[in-house]
Amino acid sequence: MPGLEPIRPQLKLEVLNPDELASIKAATLHVLEQVGIHVPSERALRVFAERGAQVDRESQIVRLPPGLVMDAMNLAPRSYQLCGRAAGTELALDGTASYFCTDGCGVYALDFETGQQRASCKDDVAKMARVSDYLSSIAFYWPMVSAQDHAWTAPLHELDASFNNTVKHVQTETVMGEKAARYAVRMAEVIAGDAADMRARPPLSSLICTIAPLGQDRQGIEAGMVFAEAGIPVGFMSMPNMGLTAPVATGGALAAASAEVVSAMVLMQLVAPGAPTFYSIVASVMDPHSANYINAIAEKYLCHVAGVQIAHDWGVPVLGGAFGAQNLEAATWQHGRDSVYNSLMVPLAGADIVVGLGLLRASTLLVPEQIIFDDEIYHTCRILARGIDTSDDGLALDVIAEVGPRGHYLAQRNTRQHLRSWWFPELSHPQRPMHESAPPDIRRRARAKLDKILREHQTQPLDDAATAELQAILEAAERELDA
Amino acid sequence: MSKEEIITRLAQSVIDGEPEDAVELAKQALDEGLDPLVCINQGLTAGINRVGELFASGEYFLPDLIIGGEAMKAALAVLEPALAGDQERQILGRVVLGTVRGDLHEIGKTLVGTMLTANGFLVTDIGIDKPAADFVSAAREANATLIGASALLTTTMPEQQKIVEELKEAGLRDQVRVMIGGAPITQGWADKIGADGYAEDAISAVALAKQLVGVPV
Ligand code: B12
Repeated sequence: MPGLEPIRPQLKLEVLNPDELASIKAATLHVLEQVGIHVPSERALRVFAERGAQVDRESQIVRLPPGLVMDAMNLAPRSYQLCGRAAGTELALDGTASYFCTDGCGVYALDFETGQQRASCKDDVAKMARVSDYLSSIAFYWPMVSAQDHAWTAPLHELDASFNNTVKHVQTETVMGEKAARYAVRMAEVIAGDAADMRARPPLSSLICTIAPLGQDRQGIEAGMVFAEAGIPVGFMSMPNMGLTAPVATGGALAAASAEVVSAMVLMQLVAPGAPTFYSIVASVMDPHSANYINAIAEKYLCHVAGVQIAHDWGVPVLGGAFGAQNLEAATWQHGRDSVYNSLMVPLAGADIVVGLGLLRASTLLVPEQIIFDDEIYHTCRILARGIDTSDDGLALDVIAEVGPRGHYLAQRNTRQHLRSWWFPELSHPQRPMHESAPPDIRRRARAKLDKILREHQTQPLDDAATAELQAILEAAERELDA
Repeated sequence: MSKEEIITRLAQSVIDGEPEDAVELAKQALDEGLDPLVCINQGLTAGINRVGELFASGEYFLPDLIIGGEAMKAALAVLEPALAGDQERQILGRVVLGTVRGDLHEIGKTLVGTMLTANGFLVTDIGIDKPAADFVSAAREANATLIGASALLTTTMPEQQKIVEELKEAGLRDQVRVMIGGAPITQGWADKIGADGYAEDAISAVALAKQLVGVPV
């Protein structure tokens, strides 16, 4: 696996000042205490009631006193590690870097051979895991599409395909319900070695969506509780669609979304104090005619940055949203335009982890070579975030003096040395003057790179015993869940 | 206010999306002895048709459509009980609508319901996360001619197939047409499971429903 290249931002972006952050936190606490959250899970209602929340069993609405919220959120760690199954895959969520993953859970794919659109399958998850294992932009892997060639165990098959094809950390967005979560924990134990290693170096984490407005998904939070108890990091994402499932104005949308996320994080801390958890808001604005998300609109970018700041204000790590273009085709003006704001703004705000590269059509369609385009945007952002080097080495006064007026810098060791560590946009600026000419069509260039990775990159395999154990777990799960 | 004026203003209250005005005007109409059926047909229905046109032309947004529908429903609640025994509002069909088991996506389904209601269907919305059996029993109870089933997750799509199967088992397949929708749904899936139709948005869902009950679109 080539080394990871996270974004380490020197430039910083803030869209909320401390007073504005305070008013959003106050509004969030107000919503949690006065309006409440719908929590359709017996187990969760019991936990909340025992710990002093006001629980209406009939309506399943939970109202949380501010003291309870603050105490529980103070137990949530600000920093911890996500790990893969090989050295060099550790991701320290400590505010110094932004680690990106693939986009996930698409439902269609353009076939790798025929290019025809079809339903996504497990082999797509496997192939893209191998590509992600190679790319230095991808620090961890979201199974990119649904394994629709499997029934109720599809989410576990997605994990199987992921663990077998990348050594990087894997985050599931689809394992829901207590039973499936227990199987996923067992799979993670196999990867880590045992339960203790899994806690120390979790190879799996989970992302669960809240149900806007102001609700939780039963299967989601019940899986979340299992993960939190096992020490698997678990995050909650609110996806408010402003005007539809949240107030149309950004401030109110953020306060309501935050109430959803915080209430779920509080629940995790109540069942497993100190459990690694993370926060996420991926907001957008409703298309006023279809109620679909408008995928690329200014308010969305602002809210994504705000969500990062709000999470850090609570003292927890955050998953930010980037990429996820709306367009149907790779390599269009629209794709660049849709992707470029978030993928720069969110890491500049300091998001610890960020989703995700590689899907089109609002995260539903896998176009295999798309990830190559996104990889190039990613690295451009990575360099942008570094800012200007004004160190002695960066100012290079000695070199300027040595070349003097009217010379050139080609003969300088300094030039040679720096250029070697530079990143060049090979897709938009192919540079193989001496070799065969690059395909003139940028999409074909991207595809050629993808095919090369698929042809040449081999992931360090799991040992046979682990592969067999994963297989046995899947079979047990199929007997129980698919029945 | 003249009778014509009341009816025009009833229509306008739906167009403007003012449920309180619509209720007031409906009460006033009854006080003045207007025929409730005329109020419904020439006032409310004319109003909601105009809302539909404005929406289709892009001038109106979803909240206009939904609040217009609410104004219509609120006024109907006043006018319908006042209909004479032999009068009946024209209903294009009875629809049982819901989101299938395991699936909590509610917005698309609700939008389809609003549009069907606004266009003259009587909709029973059974909600989200409903097993096939609930669709079938609700269809039996409501004497429905149509079932509309929404599924947004690939894992919940098979429940749509179950609805078709359970309708057959219940001996209701001949009376009840099944239409399906949701982001992952395609015409191919509808054909495969033997559903009667698929629509990709709320506007085409209305056209589909009309076609399935044999009303000219
Ligand atoms: C909003 C949304 C949510 C919201 C729902 C809020 C709510 N109260 O409904 C929340 C955040 C709660 C959510 C949760 C989840 N979601 Co979601 N969600 C979406 C999203 C972005 C938009 C859906 C929507 O409301 N669209 C707007 C409406 C108007 O459009 P529509 O639903 O398609 O309906 C129209 C047509 O389809 C049609 N139609 C719909 N129903 C019917 C019925 C009939 C009879 C007819 C004729 C027509 C018809 O007409 C409608 C009106 O025009 C989609 C992505 C997408 N592009 O669809 C993902 C998506 C459906 N979700 C997805 C996932 C994975 C989930 C979660 C599992 C995430 C998680 N990890 O927790 C959970 C599942 C919860 C559950 N058990 O159901 C995936 C599904 C992937 C898959 N493989 O199946 C999608 C595709 C996104 C993605 N790529 O990741 N989600």
